Amino acid sequence: MAKDSKLILDPLADNNPITIQVLGICSALAITAELEASIVMSISVLFVLGVGNVVISLMRNIIPSKIRIIVQLIVVATLVIIVDLILKAFAYELSKTLSVFVGLIITNCIIMGRFEAFALGNGPWRSFLDGIGNALGYGIILVIVGFFRELLGSGTLLGFPVLGDPIEKTGLYALGYENNGFMLLSPMALIVVGIIIWVQRTRNKDLIED
Amino acid sequence: MEHLELFFKSIFIDNMVFATFLGMCSYLAVSKKVSTAVGLGAAVIFVLAITVPLNWLLDQYILQPGALSWLGDEYAAYDLSFLSFIMFIATIATMVQLVEIVVEKFSPSLYNSLGIFLPLIAVNCAILGGSLFMQSREIPTLGLSAVYGVGSGIGWFLAILAIAAIREKIRYSSVPPALRGLGITFIITGLMAIGFMSFGGMLTGGDEEAKSEEKTAATEVIKEDVKSDTEVKTNLDVAENTNK
Amino acid sequence: MAVNTEKNSYTVIFAIGMVVIVGVILAGLFSWTKPMITQNEEIEKQQNILYAMGVNENDESSAVFVSTEVASKEFASNIKEQMVITVDANGKMLKSQTRDEYMAENNNKEPYLIDIKKQKSNAKSGEPRQLPLFIGEKDGKKIYVAPIYGKGLWDAIWGYVAMDKDMVVQGAYFDHKGETPGLGANIKQRFFMDDFYGEHLLTDAGVFKGITVAKGNADPKNENKTDNEVDAIAGATITGDGVTAMIKSDLKLYVPYFKSLKN
Repeated sequence: MAKDSKLILDPLADNNPITIQVLGICSALAITAELEASIVMSISVLFVLGVGNVVISLMRNIIPSKIRIIVQLIVVATLVIIVDLILKAFAYELSKTLSVFVGLIITNCIIMGRFEAFALGNGPWRSFLDGIGNALGYGIILVIVGFFRELLGSGTLLGFPVLGDPIEKTGLYALGYENNGFMLLSPMALIVVGIIIWVQRTRNKDLIED
Repeated sequence: MEHLELFFKSIFIDNMVFATFLGMCSYLAVSKKVSTAVGLGAAVIFVLAITVPLNWLLDQYILQPGALSWLGDEYAAYDLSFLSFIMFIATIATMVQLVEIVVEKFSPSLYNSLGIFLPLIAVNCAILGGSLFMQSREIPTLGLSAVYGVGSGIGWFLAILAIAAIREKIRYSSVPPALRGLGITFIITGLMAIGFMSFGGMLTGGDEEAKSEEKTAATEVIKEDVKSDTEVKTNLDVAENTNK
Repeated sequence: MAVNTEKNSYTVIFAIGMVVIVGVILAGLFSWTKPMITQNEEIEKQQNILYAMGVNENDESSAVFVSTEVASKEFASNIKEQMVITVDANGKMLKSQTRDEYMAENNNKEPYLIDIKKQKSNAKSGEPRQLPLFIGEKDGKKIYVAPIYGKGLWDAIWGYVAMDKDMVVQGAYFDHKGETPGLGANIKQRFFMDDFYGEHLLTDAGVFKGITVAKGNADPKNENKTDNEVDAIAGATITGDGVTAMIKSDLKLYVPYFKSLKN
């Protein structure tokens, strides 16, 4: 049981998919200009990684190793397309919000990375936990980056203005504060992630490289 | 000219790593040494140069709405575009494994230097990104799609080469311990991306369509063909009447 | 059941089996959901057109369509006519048809279902292009809604612009396929779309100029309506340029029609 909880807790910090395993970076940069998008993306990855890991784990003994990469990619793509089609038919509004993320999920290497590294060698239950854990670890970083970029870049959180109105000059803006539009550009996401890594490794010296 | 423009555009302005942030994972993970970076970069150019034109053909003759019309008129109504993701991915994964098998068979030395990177490429989102951009940007011909594939590959190659060279040198600098390795790489990449944004100024103002239009639009509107105008007007009168 | 998963024959059989299974699942699912998806898309188009002409349920800050249940009823009562204007590749007007005329010629296809993307690529290859125009009435004023289509940073962007007879914008709706959330994706937010209200598409001299999504606009509150400019979204330059380009290229084609209204 202790081992099972480790599967979930480890990826949250010491084995984080983004800051340690270097997986799923592209999406972490692309969509974190807004906190809401970060949260939606995290939930979508949670779903796809959880289910995908179980499916791959169930198939692990019958997949020929020569074509395993194709099989893995096709499983992810099929899952995502099925969900996308069903949402389009029965929850059209929701699918409009999520459609942007479909391509990002399929190309997200965190999913392939966990299939390859874990699900191919472990049972369904453990694979499921591993999927959930890694998706949560991924989500935490996304939410942190999204929080800072939205707050400093547009002065809002989840779309609500928290620092006052930049045009009417109320709140902080009355004191001469300006939004840092630079935070909204993708390069700043890289730098924010770099700073997160810095903080994390300062706290846990074991993770320092070289 | 068109080919040349697209070529440089895909290398610098739409650089896969610095402008669209695709292929970041292998970019960060395999950039510790210049020699390995060159190997992976070459493999990416190669695979992009094959898969983008191949997927262009797939898109043009199978996937697009109405693409099946070469089979006969009764197939013209089919729309298989919902399969594009899966077809593109399957092509890429197949090509990567095919290349791996062929290289292993005919050139063991090349396989030894390139081989370990090939499985990595299948999960490199720059490759799928290349095909998806080719589709969404509606690249018109097979030749242009090949140019686009090679150009994006070279852009990715340049990016990983640059960061690998920097990382080799940075060992001699006193970076704060906790920032060493991955952390400083992230930050340098961010700064490089900001630098690359200046290339965006090379082609501003949207597409050429909009530019040529501004010139012609003004004259066109003023010198309108009076004759066709009245013709249309009679048509419109009918329309207005039925309206009421 | 011990199978040798390394044998070539097994690999081939597995591959074929998987392709068949995945193919059947996807094709089955697609044909099962297709009618519902098509219906959803049609309703969405109606909602978009209605939104542009001001028939919506906006609250204070967010954009809300009329509900899906009433969309087609509202569409029928608000849109009095759906014109289809045909222009040749040079933008010269060839003919204009009413909805009934168009439907008689095209197997009862409603004009609002015309695929703008396809018409645009037709025009590129030199064929005539069909331009739908939806005419409604609001506060006793005739409103003309025209669809536009273009490219953003990642993928397609499109929208509907409502104008009065002088080509002054009466409302706009934009949407996108995959722009960056929080940046380019904000073109479908109220704060951006509302800026277009009241903007002039023509210059004072009556020449078509379009509306430019301008960076460094000296008018962030958008009080000057005749400057042919609205304020851009920070960090979304290419999407903004795409909006500018599609407004200029697509709405220009309607200019001859609006001219003819005046005579």
